[in-house]
Amino acid sequence: MNTHKIISGFFFILAMTLNFGFVYGDPTIIEQHSAYELFFTIIVNLIATILKLGDKTQLGAVLLATSLVADLQLLASAAVWAVALYGVQKFTVTTSVTIVSLAGGAFLANLVSVILFIGDTLKSKR
Amino acid sequence: MDNQLIWIILKKLRAPFLVIIFTFSISILGMMLIPGVDDKGNVYYLNFFDAIYFVSYMATTIGFGESPYAFTYPQKLWVTVAIYLTVIGWFYGIGTIVSLIQDETLKKAINTNKFRKQVLGLKEKFYIILGYNRITKDIINFAGENGYRFVVIDKNEEKIEELYLENFQPYVPAIMGDATNQNVLKLAGIGLENCKGVISLFEDDAKNMEIATVCKLLNKNIDIIVKATSKNQFDYYKSLGIKYIQNPFKIISDRIYYNLTAPYIWLLELWAYGHSLKFSKKDLFPHGKYLICGYGRMGKALEEGLKRAGIEYEIFNIKTQEYKAKKGSVIFGDEEDKKNLEKLNIKKIDAIIASTNNDLLNLTIINKAKELNPKIYTIARENSLEDLTIFQAAKIDRIYVLEKILAEYTYTVISRPLVNAFIEEIRKKDNEWAEVIVNILKTIAGENPLYYEIEINEKNAYALCRRLEKGEKITYGDIRKSRADRNELLKIVYLLLKRDEKTILMPTPQTEIKINDKLLIAADEENIDDFEYIVNNIYELEYVLNKKGT
Repeated sequence: MNTHKIISGFFFILAMTLNFGFVYGDPTIIEQHSAYELFFTIIVNLIATILKLGDKTQLGAVLLATSLVADLQLLASAAVWAVALYGVQKFTVTTSVTIVSLAGGAFLANLVSVILFIGDTLKSKR
Repeated sequence: MDNQLIWIILKKLRAPFLVIIFTFSISILGMMLIPGVDDKGNVYYLNFFDAIYFVSYMATTIGFGESPYAFTYPQKLWVTVAIYLTVIGWFYGIGTIVSLIQDETLKKAINTNKFRKQVLGLKEKFYIILGYNRITKDIINFAGENGYRFVVIDKNEEKIEELYLENFQPYVPAIMGDATNQNVLKLAGIGLENCKGVISLFEDDAKNMEIATVCKLLNKNIDIIVKATSKNQFDYYKSLGIKYIQNPFKIISDRIYYNLTAPYIWLLELWAYGHSLKFSKKDLFPHGKYLICGYGRMGKALEEGLKRAGIEYEIFNIKTQEYKAKKGSVIFGDEEDKKNLEKLNIKKIDAIIASTNNDLLNLTIINKAKELNPKIYTIARENSLEDLTIFQAAKIDRIYVLEKILAEYTYTVISRPLVNAFIEEIRKKDNEWAEVIVNILKTIAGENPLYYEIEINEKNAYALCRRLEKGEKITYGDIRKSRADRNELLKIVYLLLKRDEKTILMPTPQTEIKINDKLLIAADEENIDDFEYIVNNIYELEYVLNKKGT
């Protein structure tokens, strides 16, 4: 058992599940998607990214890349939301779909990251 | 190698980043959950944007005030908690980043990266110098003029700083590191195509041996210039296939031998190392009885030289360490010392060689000997250049400075390979031959001729190569003509010709020129210029070569 593995595994998977929870629902109806859930998804994703920093292996580099993609997508999603509400002050169905689909992209990245992580764990014999 | 740096930074930034994210997210969440009251008395909740905005300027201690409306007491309570949480997190993060910038490992990684880039950026051929000191400084200065570049490794940081202060042009990359460490050597570019060789002239012979072995294993094509002071080491280096082995004691012993038996060879050799081509007063050693003071590595080498020259000698075995322990100082010359010298019959001795490894001891021995026998010829070994002025003031007839001799030999090997070959060849000749050569040099090239090395190729001798490529037969005699009047000889002397692996000493005018010949010429500056004109300029060459005589 490796404490570092537990902590990082916890955050990687939590990032994915939260992300899934946010995306789940009708993308055209923003009420089905909680802003708090997006907030937590972003926070957990950022933590997961930090935990992936400084790993010199080939796998570590790919994991970091997927995490950075997820961060980018989620932050873009939050930015669209904020700009629509306070910037242009016009919230349409398109805005709602954009927010959810950006988060959906992030979910894919998180999925890849978790698959890689599990694959690596299975591969190691210890 | 390149990524090392970024990984160090990233790994160290993990903790501060995590702390910042945690504290910020908790504070933001709290701000959103606690109800506030707006200016009209309605209950409102801060939205995400408000919360992030507020926490950002709170945590960074910018503090624009309470926004969007003045806070209620529950809110203020939470803000108090959040201030301590986020501000501490923020300062911890900033502090870590600042300390990271000053971190020794990071600094070293940055320096290593910089050094690596500089080494890879070297386009010219370069030598790796191990240990920066006065000898290697001289080598850089002299050989640097001939287009060679250098990379320096020294384990002492102060030495590296010293080198930077020296401001060598072109730039000399330097790194702090252990010269016996193969990683450091690899970093210094030992495996690179344009690495010509390694120069290892440490005082410590065992270290030189270790380095030579490691270097030979890392890259067997490079030249290693190494110092060896004993026969065992010499044989070992030979077995490794090392061509340039420097033994300062052997050099001195050889010089004394040639001075005694073949002074003109000695003169030519010294001239080749940059001294003048003239015997000055007291240059010639007396033939008579010699006294060697000190019987260490140098004493033994001297003994060999004198024996070979058939000179009578006595040995006065004085050991620095023992002397120091017994007398408490290295000032030679009390009653006992005087008696010792008299016992050796100092009045009958013609020349004294002070060859201990202590400069002060050498100096005082010479002084005492002179006092007892004013006519004695004095030769002293000087170990470090620092004492040079004292030695000069002491009016010693011949001073051998180990550091200087090593430097001279090394840069000759590096930058004037033909001169080195020339010296090897002349040593096989006799004194009469050398006397003739000295006279030829003096009559043709003047009192103090310079030497000049040229390889006959497209780059150095454009015009000549063009004609040679056409199949024309041109001899060295053909181009040795004045460009002002082709019936006159150009005042140059061909000293040595190197063709493939063959060396021809004093090539005759009938020798045909071939492309890629390497030539050593002695002449004054003006005639060297003329020679360069002739081989490069097609009109000059045409004029000089015109055999019809029109």
